Amino acid sequence: MTELQQRLATGKGKFTPLYEELDTGPVSYEDSISPEFFEAEREAVFRRSWLYVGRSERLPRPGTFFTRELNGLASIVVSRRKDGVVNAFHNVCAHRGNKVVWQEHPQEESKGSCREFACKYHGWRYGLDGRVTHVTNEEEFFGLDKDALRMPPVHCEEFAGFIFVNLADDPVPLRTYLGDRLLELEAYPFDKMTQHYGFSAPIRGNWKLAVDSVCEWYHPPYVHARFIDKDIAKAEKMVPPPDSYHYDLFTPHMLTSVPGPPPLPPREPGTAGAAARDQKWVYRLFRAGLFGPDDVPDIGPLPEFLNKGKIKSWGNDQFWLFPNLSVQIWARGFYITYTYWPEAVDKHTYDIDLYFVPPKNAQERLAQELIVDSTIEFAMQDVNTIEATQQGLSTRANRQFHLSDQELLIRKFHKTVRDTVAAHQARDAKES
Amino acid sequence: MSAVTSIGTASTLPARFADLEPWVADWARPTRQERYDMRLSKKYGELEEFYDAIAPRAEEAIEYLNGRDLDDLADDDARLLQLLYSMILVSYAVNVFMQPRIPDSGAAFFNTTAEPAV
Repeated sequence: MTELQQRLATGKGKFTPLYEELDTGPVSYEDSISPEFFEAEREAVFRRSWLYVGRSERLPRPGTFFTRELNGLASIVVSRRKDGVVNAFHNVCAHRGNKVVWQEHPQEESKGSCREFACKYHGWRYGLDGRVTHVTNEEEFFGLDKDALRMPPVHCEEFAGFIFVNLADDPVPLRTYLGDRLLELEAYPFDKMTQHYGFSAPIRGNWKLAVDSVCEWYHPPYVHARFIDKDIAKAEKMVPPPDSYHYDLFTPHMLTSVPGPPPLPPREPGTAGAAARDQKWVYRLFRAGLFGPDDVPDIGPLPEFLNKGKIKSWGNDQFWLFPNLSVQIWARGFYITYTYWPEAVDKHTYDIDLYFVPPKNAQERLAQELIVDSTIEFAMQDVNTIEATQQGLSTRANRQFHLSDQELLIRKFHKTVRDTVAAHQARDAKES
Repeated sequence: MSAVTSIGTASTLPARFADLEPWVADWARPTRQERYDMRLSKKYGELEEFYDAIAPRAEEAIEYLNGRDLDDLADDDARLLQLLYSMILVSYAVNVFMQPRIPDSGAAFFNTTAEPAV
């Protein structure tokens, strides 16, 4: 082991056997290539789970709204009502089904601020709660029950500034769904981090393969070698040892905590040294790297729910909110969300959003720019790997695959999806 | 050539950074997407030239800009800041990948859905 690996090693044994529900055998990836499974998953998982659709800061005042296209699931409007409550409804007119809220391109999402929504087709109007307020030439209709007319409601709840919707008829409350361990997230000052960068990538691969690609730290010396060391043999020696991570599986959600480098000490202006074609010099100059800024903003004391595994050089906690949201809280005072929206068995959209405390000066602003650019350069390297995995799996030339101990989140995640589908199908069979 | 400011001078950067003027037209761009497109449109040697021109002035530029209000930047200050954003984007190509595009990234791309105004 290298000096770095020795410093981070904990001597913990294997993680997977600690979890009774996990075996250690080979796995099938049929759940990522079968069109039938994809349809079943959409019904059992996406139509019945709480789905994150945006931050509360997107709705700063009553009357503000945004729309979301949840591909294959729903087209919805999320708005803040006059009483301040955030609610959601299907973006569908009660008259003839026209999409009510859109600008220029019906397929695209939109946002804005208004008192009422007006359908572009025949001028029906709706309040910020989705109820009809005006029917054009109402007297020409036959027995309209105007009070019952509306854009159909969608269950919508907020937690820690994250807005979720649920397309089921009668879902469990969001806080019940999240459970005690995730409710602790409420202690984090997400609301201080309003400097927002967002990115979205179409990926020709199953959404679960994208989740897999960021659930283990086995791949960095290969996929991200050039960032670590051009010599792969050296890169392999510069990653933290597997036993330095921390895992917690609280079904259906899960967590991993990751080590990371400490920030550089403060330095006087003019001491970055002579310019060099060396990325480490760029990191020193701008005082930031993939793991965050060297000048960490003061956001108050670290809430106790973070780094429960007491990692010595803690980098971040990655909370996986089932099914498709990862909230990463970084030691250096910022957070990132990943969201995965399936479109077909072999296609999804991957959203990355980064949130920082607004920068006080150019140095802080540039540090954030470098963190953002580093994150996307790394993510770009992961994306094509996902597409290559989809290609390989879909041949079915191999049908059994092998997960190591540090890939336990992958083992667990696919099992949770499969179990959710099986439970739903069992309920369906019983009811019919 | 680069644009001329409203007050009619040839430099569109703060006076002490006027020597960086040749880089303004291509690299002082307000959005990340434009900066990334520019990186992909250049030959590797052109990226090296840009990096080698900006990097030695970067620390001085950061110090200069630190004295300015980010929410009320003059146009010439904003352009200098944008040159530094471009330097960061180009640094990966020059120092990490030795080519404009990330190796093996194929057709992969990220659309920008949100970014700060400045």
